[in-house]
Amino acid sequence: MIDRIASGFHPFVLPFLAGMFFVFGYCIYGILKILLQLPREDRLQFYKSLITPETAVKNVKDIFLNCLLHVKLWKRNPMLGFMHSSIAFGWFMLIVLGHVEVILFVPERIKFFYYPIFFNYFVAEADSTVKGSVLFFLMDFFLLVVLVGIALAVIKRFRSLIFGMRRTTRPSFLDLIGQYALWAIFPLRWLAEGFTAHISGGSFMTIPLNWMARQFLGNEFNMLPTWWAYSIALGVFMFVLPFTRYMHIPAEMLLIPMRNAGLRIRHARRGFARAEIFSCPSCGVCIDACPMSVKKANLKDCTVYLNRHIRRGHEKRVDEISDKCLLCGKCQAVCQVGVEGPTLRMAQRATRRYSIEQDYSGIDTRPLADAARGSKVLYFAGCMTQLTPRIPRAVESVLKKAGVNYVWMDRDGGLCCGRPMLTAGKIGEAKQLIRKNEQIISESRAHTLILSCPICYKIFREHYSLPGVRVIHHSQYFDELVRLGKLSPVKGSGSVVWHDPCELGRGSGIYEAPRDLLGRCAELREAGHNHAESICCGGSLGSLTLGFAQREAMTRNALDDLVKDAPDAIATGCPLCMSTFGRYADRPVKDIAEILDESC
Amino acid sequence: MKENVIIIGGGVAGLEAARQMLSLGLRPIIVEQSDHLGGHVACWHRLFPDMTPARELVAKLVESCREANIFLETTVQSINRLKDGYAVMLSNGVNILSRAVLIASGFKLFDAAKKEEYGYGVYDHVITNRDLENWFAGAEDLRIPREPKVFGFVHCVGSRDIKAGNTQCSKVCCMTAIKQAIEIKEKFPGCEVFCFYMDLRLFGKKYEDFYLNAQRDYGIRFIRGRVSEVSETIDGRVQVKAEDTLSGKPLKIQMDCLCLMAGMQCNPSATSIADMLHVEVDTDGFLRSKDNIYSILESQKPGIFFAGACTGTKTVPETVAEARAAALSIFNYLSR
Amino acid sequence: MMEFGFRLSPSSTIDLDRADLSLYRKIERLEPDMKTCMACGSCSATCTAGQYSGMSMRKVILGLQRGTDVSGMLSCCMLCGKCTMVCPRGINTRHLILSICRTYEKK
Repeated sequence: MIDRIASGFHPFVLPFLAGMFFVFGYCIYGILKILLQLPREDRLQFYKSLITPETAVKNVKDIFLNCLLHVKLWKRNPMLGFMHSSIAFGWFMLIVLGHVEVILFVPERIKFFYYPIFFNYFVAEADSTVKGSVLFFLMDFFLLVVLVGIALAVIKRFRSLIFGMRRTTRPSFLDLIGQYALWAIFPLRWLAEGFTAHISGGSFMTIPLNWMARQFLGNEFNMLPTWWAYSIALGVFMFVLPFTRYMHIPAEMLLIPMRNAGLRIRHARRGFARAEIFSCPSCGVCIDACPMSVKKANLKDCTVYLNRHIRRGHEKRVDEISDKCLLCGKCQAVCQVGVEGPTLRMAQRATRRYSIEQDYSGIDTRPLADAARGSKVLYFAGCMTQLTPRIPRAVESVLKKAGVNYVWMDRDGGLCCGRPMLTAGKIGEAKQLIRKNEQIISESRAHTLILSCPICYKIFREHYSLPGVRVIHHSQYFDELVRLGKLSPVKGSGSVVWHDPCELGRGSGIYEAPRDLLGRCAELREAGHNHAESICCGGSLGSLTLGFAQREAMTRNALDDLVKDAPDAIATGCPLCMSTFGRYADRPVKDIAEILDESC
Repeated sequence: MKENVIIIGGGVAGLEAARQMLSLGLRPIIVEQSDHLGGHVACWHRLFPDMTPARELVAKLVESCREANIFLETTVQSINRLKDGYAVMLSNGVNILSRAVLIASGFKLFDAAKKEEYGYGVYDHVITNRDLENWFAGAEDLRIPREPKVFGFVHCVGSRDIKAGNTQCSKVCCMTAIKQAIEIKEKFPGCEVFCFYMDLRLFGKKYEDFYLNAQRDYGIRFIRGRVSEVSETIDGRVQVKAEDTLSGKPLKIQMDCLCLMAGMQCNPSATSIADMLHVEVDTDGFLRSKDNIYSILESQKPGIFFAGACTGTKTVPETVAEARAAALSIFNYLSR
Repeated sequence: MMEFGFRLSPSSTIDLDRADLSLYRKIERLEPDMKTCMACGSCSATCTAGQYSGMSMRKVILGLQRGTDVSGMLSCCMLCGKCTMVCPRGINTRHLILSICRTYEKK
């Protein structure tokens, strides 16, 4: 291989060069901005993680697996996984191999950024070498891989149902430009390299093209325009990239190390949150996943639109979307880059200023503390459970049958756990309530705290400081009692489906204990969507603005999914899910404690 | 030849309509899904405002319908529209052709267990208006203590409640509660009786007099506030929480027995028949009349008529009057 | 008018001609269901904060409609959502409370 052009330069590389400098400059600016927005201790933690060998290795591995190979996406949707990884990995390999070619054949040109990209234009085949043909084959192979990916992308744009996606996002104008530029890049590269193949050499993709083109057109005439077009397509793509969904490509490479460093969202827009917002690829997987999307009116209120409106600064819509969400967490469970939709919204809610603020300092907790004394095992039913007396009654009955000595600390009412305040973004108020409840519980000297409400359970586990106290949901506690032989349920003839409440399943990762327990009492069936994919009942306190009437369609949709396998009864472990489903269900809706109580 | 008319439902409305049709020279055929005639009224003890024994009314109606064809424990399997009339297939295999169908399928009593916070079916001393009426009629009920000291009535259980799926007022519960409260007071003169209401809707003849009697002669106490939740004390009594909205304070009271005034909602079998006939269901869940002023008894389909609580909550006298009018409307329709 | 340094006690009449309904008008736009309240008192009876403070959602709504000051009652609300659960009219009381707390202007 020898250099064909003495200067090693041709003006057609300029659009590419300009685009590349622009996008690199923009990314450096973006990274600096995000890093400077981090709180100091987070920033130090991040730097430290970069030089810690374990996290550094993990970073490289995660970036390779997720950004290039799209392993998570493969697991969720193989077609989409194939499409994305063939474009990303194929392109990556083209760049890497381009550099290899330059280093091998014209090492002195490596200082030109554009050389690996436009290598075939600048070189001529002298003596074909074995090394060269292998490389040419690989280059053509990965070009084919990318072209297949692009073909799939084009099909997906017009027939998304083939990919199992009912709804996708509507791209913005710049998104479309970026997308058309991206689609154009690789066919143009094929043409350009094809037309040059009789000079620079090629392989199974480019040589036949060269031969065919020569029959009709004559290559010299086509060569330069296609190289220009290829360079312009690259340039356009890189110029619009920061303002399109494709920004997720560089952003995710920052997000992964930040997440591996253990950073969290501390501000609605800045720092880590910003990295997440820009990492959203606008794929729209969250649209179908969102329980609100059963109603057309809510289609544009899922996380992908939250991110889009934050990027564009549409404050009114950001507020609306943040307040409407049920915080069920399903968008996060299905998100390929792990955008924390609920946390972003809670952070947004926390930016509100209120002219009336809550203050619980006047509440005398002594009567509540007195009511909590007398046993090592405390039972805290929670506010909502007081409206579903079947739950505490069944819990009490089971505890008595197991011979557990317990105290129902909020039999005559108690304080709220603070989670509703926290989800509304009123962190200070939530903390006050947490402190009050902590005081009551630690004064009781109990070692176990049984909770009936997953909403309480989540905040007790995550935000309460109760040293020496084991916080446990009643489904787990009863499962343990059965394992310890203190309860021996008899399996009945009926069948039952378990509904994973959002805060217990996705929120706290408890999936198996309730299933295990139910399996001992009845024949366990599964819902159409279960475990992390379970559909919110629609009754969630997470939403601030959804009114009662707007929730019915969501509840009915969740119910239809629950009874897919025709169970005799529906079981759940959340008072709110139970009342919500009970309103419209055509079969009994019971708490897991009731089912256990009936069978032992 | 006498003409067949199918009456779906053998409650007060169906029976009265059949009686009238007989005297108009038609041949009524009553299809009743339960094992007895008289519907809800047959399970009631006494009817306001004259404390008429419900059994007497039902017996009188059944007696006067002896000439009618009556199928008990039978449901309508399918109804097909013919050129001039309907072909009705019953669950017992009988096929009937009829030019007119009267839907008199009545209401369903709201399932009080659905208002979970009231603890019906959970607590030992929470009953419904129907349970109490059964008990008055002589049935045994261990939930009603032998000597209650405090007895409560909760109005509007499953009525005027979007959460229960019923936004309508059930009309009769205010009056029934007062009637039952008086009856409790008559049985247990030493018992304190409380009624928890949102609005007292005492619109009918002599209803207000009943209210006056309840206050003046029986000392029944009325608290304006909807019960929000019911719990059980350790000694098994019922504790009720409500807001006394007139004094603006939360209120708690322990009782020996609490009676929930379950309201009316459209009978699901009426809705399924409406489906077969493509008759519309109104926004309140009851069947939709042609119009709600002049043609309450007519549906939007020719030959399909309504009587009684299938089109909305009704009292017994209203139902009887509607049944009579429906019989006449059908007679006129058939003799066009 | 001459100031005497003391005043008669303010009238206890609700004067709807002069009532300041500006807050009501603002809240009404944010949560129109508020107008459907039938003052049954379920919310107040079930309120977790009710036993510790004078919190009564019914009174808050009434106060808004009459133009009286309601700010004091909301200071103990925990947003637990029981009032929303029991409301027979399906009013989104939690959002109503948050809206009042946000919109209220200290006098």
